[in-house]
Amino acid sequence: MIELNGLTKYYRKNVPGMVDVSLSIEKGEIFGFIGPNGAGKSTTVRTLLNLIYPTSGSATINGKDIVNDAKWIRKHVGYIPSEVHFYASMDVQSFLDFSGRFFDVEFKTRQQELVELFDLDVSRKIEALSFGNKKKVAIVAALQHQPDVLILDEPTSGLDPLHQQAFFDVLLKEKKRGTTIFFSSHILSEVEKICDRVGVIKEGKLIQVSPIETLRKSTVKRVRATVQEPFESRSKHIKDLSVDGAHVSFVYTGPVKQLLKVLEAQTLQDVTIEDPSLEEIFMHVYERSAA
Amino acid sequence: MKNLMINDFKRLFKSLILWTVIVGGLALLMLLLFPAFEDIYADLEALLEGYPQGFLEAFGLGEDGLIMEDIYGWFGVEGYLFVLLIGSVYAGLLGGSILSKEEDDQTIEFLLTRPITRSQIYGAKLGVIGINLVLLNSVVAIVLGVTFAAFDTMNWTVWALYSVAPLILHLIFASVSLLISVFVTKSRTVTSIALGLVVGLYVLDIISALTDSAENLKYITPYEYVNAITIVNEGRLEPLYMAISAGIIVTALLAGWAFYRKKDIAA
Repeated sequence: MIELNGLTKYYRKNVPGMVDVSLSIEKGEIFGFIGPNGAGKSTTVRTLLNLIYPTSGSATINGKDIVNDAKWIRKHVGYIPSEVHFYASMDVQSFLDFSGRFFDVEFKTRQQELVELFDLDVSRKIEALSFGNKKKVAIVAALQHQPDVLILDEPTSGLDPLHQQAFFDVLLKEKKRGTTIFFSSHILSEVEKICDRVGVIKEGKLIQVSPIETLRKSTVKRVRATVQEPFESRSKHIKDLSVDGAHVSFVYTGPVKQLLKVLEAQTLQDVTIEDPSLEEIFMHVYERSAA
Repeated sequence: MKNLMINDFKRLFKSLILWTVIVGGLALLMLLLFPAFEDIYADLEALLEGYPQGFLEAFGLGEDGLIMEDIYGWFGVEGYLFVLLIGSVYAGLLGGSILSKEEDDQTIEFLLTRPITRSQIYGAKLGVIGINLVLLNSVVAIVLGVTFAAFDTMNWTVWALYSVAPLILHLIFASVSLLISVFVTKSRTVTSIALGLVVGLYVLDIISALTDSAENLKYITPYEYVNAITIVNEGRLEPLYMAISAGIIVTALLAGWAFYRKKDIAA
């Protein structure tokens, strides 16, 4: 369980990293935390881990305060950083053991399973690993001591699709075990696959939290049409209009009935109306809040 | 905490060996040259008489200074400086880098997401600094003990002071560098500052000895705190200087700890 109450971080005066973020994530929930680079995702993650101190507000993980009980929290949290920086001269095996020994729990069995699952060569030096392989080391180091809470900062970057899938399977198993997962990412399609709810952060502010289904059920539609005469409509609900000869494509954000009226006015040859990707939905969330 | 200390100690062991060999080896080399100079001491003394008094004082010679005919005095002029200066370079580099390297390499993010407090990390780093400096100085102490005993009757007091005094100086430079490294985490910058401090304060020590008008400078250069003349001629370390040394070490370490606990770890 993770709770944020008005969590705020100013790096300097007038340089906000995260402003008044309040949020509650249930035990066993996978929460997607979405935003473009520089929106405040890493600030939030780093504050939760007490790498940086909040300017105001507070947060708890499993009921413990992130600042005062930082050590307890670190014992119960697995963290995968977006950029992996480990001791370059160590080999993978001694690094993983070094990491595991901090936790006072048996970790070798789980370590073995994960190393096999991700095809990790543990005899190699960290510095000799590719970006993707370093990420795998980070995944094993974060999961081997079986934490109750996972905090993931763009965990799949660098992973090939096969191991990405393996990683998602692991996360779903963890969820079944009751693990709470905070999944920060700027790639919507991966969050869409796995998360229960999604929060959108922009310029340090949490601008929307909604269950994945609600987002999908939103009335935003992607419309593709072939027209005989030039497409003409001044509906304010039409976004992202692109006209390529007879082919027209746009995102429609208004009521469906009005969309039909718009289409009726055209000399349609062909039309498809479909659910847009989450990416497109969020693009419009962003646009709306910018307006 | 033990886990981190063991890991750091292993990681830094090679450099400890290297520096110990350099410092211990130079001390030994200078001591082994003693018999050769002993024979020509009369000539040397005549030669030195030609130098101005202030210049001689800068090197611990002259009136009320060290007598090079004696192995303890000889070491005070010819070997002790290496132990102080080169040992301090090691202490400065070690103190300045052991904590900041984690931030510079960004491995601190890994450490601080293990169940360990910042105080424990700071304590572990401090422990490794202490152990390494004690080990280096112990080797030097053994070298001194063996050669002193071989060349002269053993003066245990002077031997003990020669062994402990450099450690005090090294601890001063290590703790001040550690404090600086809490704020300046770029490896290259920290090591430059640490080196500048070690060499700069030595230059200041020479200036304070050379010029009477700058004599008060001696209170701010720690080399003066562990002066060989006091050790050999008086068989003691100046209590006021020891109090200042302890004050510097404790203040630097506490300040470093206080700031480290509350600082933001940059991404």
